[in-house]
Order: sequence, then structure tokens, then C-alpha cells
Amino acid sequence: MDIEIVLRSIFSAVFLASILRISTPLILPALGGLVSELAGATNIALEGMMLSGALAGVLVSAYTKSVWLGVLAGMLAGLAIAMILGYFHLVLRTDAILAGVAINIMCTGGTIFLLYVLTGDKGNSSTLVSGTVPNVNIPIIENIPFLGTVLSGHNILTYLAFLLAIVVSVFLYRTRFGAHLRAVGENPVAASSVGINVIRTRFAAFAISGMLAGLGGINMSMAYLTLFQREMTAGRGFIALAAVFLGGRKPLGTLLAAVFFGFADALSNQLGSLKIPPQVVQTIPYFATIIALVVYNLRQQAQVAARARHFQEKHMAEMASAKSQS
Amino acid sequence: MAFIEMRDIVKVYPNGVVANNGVNFSLERGEIHALVGENGAGKSTLMKILYGMEPPSGGEILMDGQPLRFHSSSDAIAKGIGMVHQNFMLIPSFTVAQNTVLGMEPVRRNMLDAKEAVRITEDLSKRYGLRVDAEAVVDSINVGMRQRVEILKTLYRGAQVLILDEPTAVLTPQETQELFEAVRELVKEGKTVIFITHKLREVKEISDRVTVMRNGKVMGTVATSEATRESIARMMVGRDVFLNIDRPPVKRGDVAMRVTDLSYVSETGRPMLSNVSFNLYYGEILGVAGVEGNGQTELAEVISSLRRSTTGKATVDGSDILNRTPRDVRLAGVAHIPEDRLTNGVALKSSIYENLIVDRYFRPPFRRGQFIDYRTVRSTGDGLIREFDIRTKDGEVAVEALSGGNMQKVIVAREFTASPKVLIASQPTRGIDIGATEFIRKRLVQKRVEGTAILLISADLSEVMSISDRIMVMYEGHVTCVKINTPDLTEEELGYYMLGIKRQDPEEMEANL
Amino acid sequence: MKAILKSNSVREILRIFTAVFVALMIGFFITLLVSDDPVGAYRAFLLGPVSRFNRFGDWIEESLTLMLLGLAIALVFKAGIFSLGAEGQMAFGALAAGCVALYVPLPIYLRIPVALVAGAVAGFLLGIIPGYLKAYLNANEIVSTLMLNTIALKFYEYLLTYYIKSPSAGYTASDTFPEAGILTTWVPNLPFLQGFRTMFVNQTNITIMLYLVIASVIVVYYLMYRTPFGYELRILGSNIKFARYGGMNTRRTIMLATAVSGIFAGLAGTHLAMGIHTKLIINITAGLGFEGIVVALLARNNPLFIPLSALGYGYLRAGADVMERSSDVSREMVLVIQAIIILLVTAERIFPEVKRRIQARRENTAAAEPTSQPGS
Repeated sequence: MDIEIVLRSIFSAVFLASILRISTPLILPALGGLVSELAGATNIALEGMMLSGALAGVLVSAYTKSVWLGVLAGMLAGLAIAMILGYFHLVLRTDAILAGVAINIMCTGGTIFLLYVLTGDKGNSSTLVSGTVPNVNIPIIENIPFLGTVLSGHNILTYLAFLLAIVVSVFLYRTRFGAHLRAVGENPVAASSVGINVIRTRFAAFAISGMLAGLGGINMSMAYLTLFQREMTAGRGFIALAAVFLGGRKPLGTLLAAVFFGFADALSNQLGSLKIPPQVVQTIPYFATIIALVVYNLRQQAQVAARARHFQEKHMAEMASAKSQS
Repeated sequence: MAFIEMRDIVKVYPNGVVANNGVNFSLERGEIHALVGENGAGKSTLMKILYGMEPPSGGEILMDGQPLRFHSSSDAIAKGIGMVHQNFMLIPSFTVAQNTVLGMEPVRRNMLDAKEAVRITEDLSKRYGLRVDAEAVVDSINVGMRQRVEILKTLYRGAQVLILDEPTAVLTPQETQELFEAVRELVKEGKTVIFITHKLREVKEISDRVTVMRNGKVMGTVATSEATRESIARMMVGRDVFLNIDRPPVKRGDVAMRVTDLSYVSETGRPMLSNVSFNLYYGEILGVAGVEGNGQTELAEVISSLRRSTTGKATVDGSDILNRTPRDVRLAGVAHIPEDRLTNGVALKSSIYENLIVDRYFRPPFRRGQFIDYRTVRSTGDGLIREFDIRTKDGEVAVEALSGGNMQKVIVAREFTASPKVLIASQPTRGIDIGATEFIRKRLVQKRVEGTAILLISADLSEVMSISDRIMVMYEGHVTCVKINTPDLTEEELGYYMLGIKRQDPEEMEANL
Repeated sequence: MKAILKSNSVREILRIFTAVFVALMIGFFITLLVSDDPVGAYRAFLLGPVSRFNRFGDWIEESLTLMLLGLAIALVFKAGIFSLGAEGQMAFGALAAGCVALYVPLPIYLRIPVALVAGAVAGFLLGIIPGYLKAYLNANEIVSTLMLNTIALKFYEYLLTYYIKSPSAGYTASDTFPEAGILTTWVPNLPFLQGFRTMFVNQTNITIMLYLVIASVIVVYYLMYRTPFGYELRILGSNIKFARYGGMNTRRTIMLATAVSGIFAGLAGTHLAMGIHTKLIINITAGLGFEGIVVALLARNNPLFIPLSALGYGYLRAGADVMERSSDVSREMVLVIQAIIILLVTAERIFPEVKRRIQARRENTAAAEPTSQPGS
């Protein structure tokens, strides 16, 4: 009986629409994480970049009364943080993880500090009248019964997130610069031997990463919610990074993983009625990531072992035939 | 006028190693020029200078009489010089075509033109007879094809001169033949090829002229047709700094280690050891000679259980030591001076004391109860520092602060005092100063007098000949001869076995095992 | 011990002091920009923790948690393992200890030790997992610990919300622990100590955890620098190939390192539950796990320096609290200072780079970027 209700609500259009909405602030930073990961530099500072973007968007849109300047400012804030990370990691050779941890701490503190300085409130930006990125209805589709509810009426940024997944994919696999970026990530020495500037390429990857994460932050503060709250990203930057790994470091995989995380989150809201605690459901993606990590490594070990066995058998056969000939 | 001329090239590395010492090298347009020499002779350094990877400390490079100044390899590439490195510079997940055009990809409407890349690759492939599958992913192709991709890469960048750094080291005989055909095709198309190698058979087969280097100097350049393999070998391995070491006669004891039919295949499928068998006796030094890369590294690492995946048998005093853990092997009485001392032999950031106990910290007298007795560690360490003449302020100094020779003495001190039955010494004196070299060789001989069984693996033939009782030569993973080191044994003769010119009669080998 | 102190060269210490100084200067500059009374605010920040007994007590308490965390992080970082799992292990420790404090009907002299052990064991068990995954399945420890952190925190939240939460509480928290489940004050209630107690001790909230932390520092120091396990740990962090060549069981060492590290993170959680909050509250760890990294880093992963760096770092945090309460500058400024300290301390090439810049300027030439070979 309860299960029936839940099942019905899971397959409801509203629920499916909520997955898209909840996934958006994961997809954007995950794409950013993917780009820097493929360039060979794990970006653990996505969280901080999102927070900075979220605050910058709210502030600039509040003061300029322009939503789009706010969006731009959010992306630039992410970019600026990315450049700091890039300078420390790439030029001063700080460990990427430690620099990332530092930047997250800085952004957590910095955003609250700035919020307080400008509004006198440390909790949220409700005293500011900030802009909101509008929702849009898609003509024709909006009138199709089920599909209309699922697909239409979302925030522009939600559509943009899915569009950017395609753009990032094309960028990585169809453009010259994307090819260079992946080459740098896989074999920096080889890439530099054909004249590709490794440092510059990684800087660019961080820059893209920062702008995408900034956009993810904007989505949090100007679409998902309509104000900035302290620590409002609540670990989404880390989830996004996990999505990159769970997605096998591929654009489509990353997108699906991010949607999967969004699904688990949406589900945990739904399951409250079934007395399944949301905390339990929310851990599913994390377990999934660990399992994916384990399976991936087990499979690789098995492959290496199989190859070694194959070579050895081949070699022994050759030796045996050489012996029988002589 | 020569096409390219390198004059009086000097290269001194920051650590003081003189890699090139007044080298003159000239290249004619359209020739295949072999560059030969032992490891450490300075060939690679010379070529890195020509390719702009290393700035020379002195001397000049002329192309068609015009002086060249390279700041990086990009400059060299722009001048039409291309290099195929020994460890390939490829992106594993990219296709052959993508790798070929990497850095200079064809684009159409701002997007990568994959078809054009494939077309370019296939055109080059056909034109020079370098057979590749343009659309295969590099990860899935064999070593020979990877090498051809590397050559295609340089050709796509308009190379007129191709430097091939030991291209056959990783190839099977059939692949080598294919490479040679491709090289001849390249020359027919007007390219010039510099061919670095150890293998004299190949020099005779492929090159027009040959330059021999030894100890950072050029020993001579001759037309290949006027040289014999023997004459080239003599130039290569001539006796230079001969350190005379007293080798008191010792009657060797029983068999300490017995190795039977040992085989090892690398991760990439190359057979590195093929049915290697030998006995090592107490109180002898068995020298393993051979050009590097013929299985010596693998032999040492398989015996000490640093590598697995082998067939065959190895026993010390009758008990099996193969495919155990490194600690088991050590406990069975095998000590190992590793070939790559910075990777395996020391922990750079740790102190000398701590580097001296890595194999014994867990047992008395160093361990007392649940603790390590650092007083004993220090006093024993101080003793070793004195005994092995390790030049340092004190034992707390991190190993990274030591010179190469002193670093090696730390390793030698540790392994010598492990009271081993069997001591494997891999390249024990490589890259260290004369003083330390002499010291280590003397200690090896002393160890032998004390009754230890020593397997001395060295690419330095004069070292092997000066202190070994018997000499075993390895070539392409096989043992090609085992000889008693008598005064009438010459370097030339061993050179023939090392370079695969000769192979010992199995019965004669059996007698010397 | 002298040797250990000596091996941390003067340059290292200078470098850390410079970093802290520069970060404080930047902090002051920020204060200048935002405050009406910047000097007053900064004075509150810099002198606050020693201005009153209770503030002093807060500082010490905070530092004790940080010391335990610093020890936990130092143990793994010394082994070259980038485990970020302290956060989750801390939550597990708090949960286990909290349950004992709440539900196990033992007298105080048994309940507290059992709770401490429970906290340590919880951290240990959670700590084994990333070590096992790394050692045997080659799973990246950064990813696995970040995942495990969230799982542990959600688990904590779940138990707290559904089983432990007091029905009477308006917000998600347990009942305050019974007296038998609260760490006792560090000075025993003896007649001749009465004066000291009323004057000083009763004004602060410092508990017997003080002794446990001092003991922990000594234990970790001996563990790291005097035992075979510690030797293995350090060699592993220095060169894992050398460790294998020397015959160590590196897998076992990796697993033990993360597990032992978990013990101290678990104890830190125990301290939060039984010493500071005296109940289980939601989000009890509050990101402290990451701050432990800073403490370990400033101490260069040397247990003997960890009390110093924890006190220094705890001082910044305590000072920030005072500043917030007595001025118009919010405490989060200290997070920025902290981040700058990490960045400056960990930047490998900051001194060469600064030197290069100065030289370039001196020579008045356009400094050509040194061609840095990546991967080398």
C-alpha cells in the first residue's frame, strides 16, 4: 500500500521533473571537474568555486539589478578562484589536494565574511533583492501531457546544464584544444614533446572548470533557491567530483552519474512517506561510487593478470617448440 | 660541406658528470649514420643536444654551414630534425592517426578533421612503407607499430633528419627487419637517419657510416663497408681506466644458488629471460656481462622477488626462493644491490641511519621488545659509516644530501653486512667516482674471499673482467656463454657473445656451469 | 628526540613563521577595509583568548580536539597516504562514545573509559576501510575517504534523528549525557586544591582529556619514531619502492596506518561529544576534519610539534570567536587567514619563485619563464 504510493510518485511526472531540477547543480560542477580531471589535475576545490559563484551572482545581481550580469559575475568568481588554484598548483607546485582543501576553507569563510560585511547577516542574503534566472516553457512540448510536465517549465540553467554536457563533450573530443587537453592529462611529457604547453593547458582547464562550477553555484543561489545561504552548496562540489569518477571520466558517464546522484536525492525526499529515512537513501550514490571504484580496479587487475598469463603461455609454447626442433 | 656538423661539443651536467667531452660529429645528407657505444658513452646526450632537449655547455652546431641555436626541441623540429625516443611519447587512449597529428591537427570549421588525420596518416604510411592501422587505439597496438607511429609523427612535422634512439631494443627480429626496410625507404625519399644502437650486426646491415663513442669522446668515424664487426667492437670496448685489483686465489665452495630454466615475460609480452640456468658457488664472483637491456635487470629482480610471473626454479642452499616476498628472499640469505639506486636502493628523504636498517629493523639487536633500539641503530650505523668510508657530517643527514658515490656506499654497507649467502650486485659502480668505484670493487673481492657467493651484473666489461672468477654473457634473454675468467680471455671475444655474433657450444657451457 | 628537532631545519620553521605572519598581515588588511575599529577588532582577535579564564579554557579545549585530529592526519600523511577520512571517523567516534555515555549503565569510573575505548574502536574500524581499498584494490584514498565521510555523517544523522533524539528536544539532538557520561574536570576534587579550583578550574571547562591528549602525543611520537611500525610508516611515505625492496609488507602498513589514524580521529569525536557538547548534536564535526590537516601540516607531520601547531591554530579560532563577539568583524575572517597559511606553507616553490622574481627585477630584464618540464 505504502509502496504503491511511493512507486506511483516515483513514476510521476513531477518527480521526474524534480530529478532534473535537483541534478542541475551537480551536472555543472561535475562537467567542470571532468575537464580538469582529464587535463591531469584533480579539482577538489569545486565546492569553493561554487560557493564563490553563488555569492557573487547574488551580490552583483542585487546591486546592478541585472540577472545576467549576476550570472556573468558568478562565472568570473569561479574563474578567479580557479586562477588562484592554478597559480599555486601549477606555478608554485603546491599539492593539488592541499591547495584545493585550502581554497575550500577560504571560500567557505570568505563568502560568509563578505555576506556579513555587506548585509550584516551571516545566515543568508534575504535582505538583498537579488535576481533570479527565469524558468522557461518549451512551446509544443509543454502541452504534451506527461512529457510537458517533465521537460518543460524548467530553469534556463537546467537546460543549459544538459546543453553544456554536449558542448563539453564536443569540446573535449572534437576540437584541437580538447585533444591537447586530454593529451596533457594522459602523458604530459609526450604532449610537451610535440610543443603543447602543459602549464598553459592546465590553466585553461582550471579556468573552464572554475566557470562551470561558478555556474553551478549560480544555479544554487539564483534558481534552485533565490538567495545565498552560508555553506549552501553542502558538499555538492565533492559529489560532483565523485560523479566524474563514477562516470568513468567520460562526459556522458559523468552526466548520467550526476543525474543518478540527483535521483537518489529526489528519492530520499519522496521516501519520507514510506518511513525510509532520507539519510539512508542519500548514501546510495556514495556506496555506488565506492563499489564502482572497487569494480573498476578489480577488473584492471584481472586484465593485467590475464595478459601476463597469456604472454607466459605463449612464451612457453614457443620455447617448447624451439626445443623440439633442436 | 657536411649537412650537419657538431663541433667540439662539451656537456657537463650540474652534478659534475661530463657526458660529452669535445665531441665532433658530422652528418652527410641522405646517409644512414650509425652511432654506437656502450651505455654512458655519451650518445644519448649528444643526440639530445642535437634535438634541442639539452643545451650544450660548449661547442657549436652547424647546418649547411649556418650556426644553429636551439632553445627547445620545437626549434629543432622547425629545422627539420626529428627524434624517436626509446620510451615512446604517445597518448595511449588516442588512435594512431590522432597521435600522428597531435599538436598540428588538421581542422575543418574549427573542429578536428578526423578523416583528414586518417588520410594524412595513411598517405605517410604508404609513402614510407610504415605499415600502421590509422584508426587503431595506441593502447591496443604492438610495440613495433607504436614505433612506426613515432616515426610518422616526426615525418608529419617535416623531419629531414631522423634520430632513432636504440630503435631495435624493443623489437622482435621480424619487426627489426620491417624497420630496416622502412629506414631504407626513408633514405630513398631523401631523408637522413641517425641510428643509435649497440648491435653491431645491425650497424653492418643498415648503416653507411658509423661513429663510435666511448667515455664521452668520439673514437672515430668510418665507412661501414671498410669496418668489420670485430674492428668496431674493439673501438667500443677498449680498455680505459683499468683499476688493478688484487684477486687472491680462492678455492670455490659448494653451490650456493642454483637457477634452472628461468624465464620471464614482461608486461608488454616481450620475453626478457629465456631458460636461464646457472650455478653460483660460495667463494666466487660470477660476472654477468652483456649490453644493457638483455635481461640482466630482470634476472636480478626476479631472483630477489621484486618481479613475479616467471617459470623455472631458483634455490639457495636447496630451498626455493622464487616468487616469494622480498623479505622471504632476504631471510633466505640473498642481499641485493639494486641497479636503480634512487628508485629501489634508498629513501632519499630519510637519514643514513634509517637507510641502513631497512632489511633488519624488525629483528634483534635493532628491535628490542616492541621498540626499535635507536642507540644500537646509531652505533651500528656509525660503525658502518666509518668502515665503508661514507663521507658525511653524521648519520642523521638525509641520503639525498650525499654524492652518488656515497649514496652507493650506504647501499653497499647495508647489503654487505646483511651477512648474505648470496649477494647480487647490479651495476654497483655505475655513475660514481673512481675512488668509490675502486673501494666497492675491493670490498666485493674481499667478500668473495670471505666465502660469499656473488653475482656481479655489470654493463662495464672491464669491471666484470677485473674481478670475476667466471663470466656469463647474456644476449636477448639467453645465456650465450659461460667462461672461466682466465688471463687469455679477451674483451673482444666476450664482445662477440655480448653482441650476438657468437654463441657458445652447449656442451662447453655445461662444463663451465 | 634531539635529532628529530634538528632534522626540521631552521629554514622550515622560518618558512612557517613567515607564512603565518604574512597571513596575519593580510587578515589585518582585510580588517582595515571592513571594520570601523580595526585596531580594536584585531586586538580582540590577537589577545582575546588570554583575556579571560573562560576564554582561555575554550582555547585549550578547542586545541585538544585539534591535537587529536592533527595526530590522526600526521599518521597517514607521514605514510604518504592522502586520507581525508578524519571527518567521518570523528563522527563515528562521537556516535559510539555518545551511545556508551547515554545508554550503558556503568558507574562513571567505568563508563568513561568504556566510552573512550568505544570511540577509538569506532574510528579504527572505519579507518581500516580506505586503507584496505587502497592497499588491495588500488582505490584512490581521496575519493574513497570523501565518500566514506558522507556515508558516516549520514549514518550519524540517521541514528541521531530516528533513535537517539530526545522527544522533548525542539531540535535534533540527544539528551544531555548523564553525569557518568561526561568527562570530568582535569583537576580532581581534593580539599587542598579547592582554592585553585574556585579561582581557575571552575571557570574553564578543561577535562581529563587533557591527560589523554598528552599521552596520545607521546604515544604517537614513540609509535612513529621508535617502533618498527613507525619506521615502516615513514619509509613508506619516503619511497614505497624502497620499502618493498627492503622487504616490508607495504599493504599491511597502509592498512594499519589509516586504521591507527582512525583511532585518534575517533578520540577527537569522543572529546567533542563527551567533553565539549556533552550531548550528540547534528553536524557535530562541523568540518573540523579538514582543519586537522592544517594542524598536521604546520607541524610538518611531527607529533611533537602538533601541540604547538594545534595551540597556535586553536588560538586563531578562539581569537576569532572573541573578535566576533566584541567587534564588527565576523569570525570567518580567520578561515581566510587559515587558507592563506596552508597555501603559503605547502607551496613548494614559493621561495625559489620569490627569489627568481627579485633577481629578475634586479637584472631588469624580462624574465623568461623557466621551461618547466611537467611530470619530471
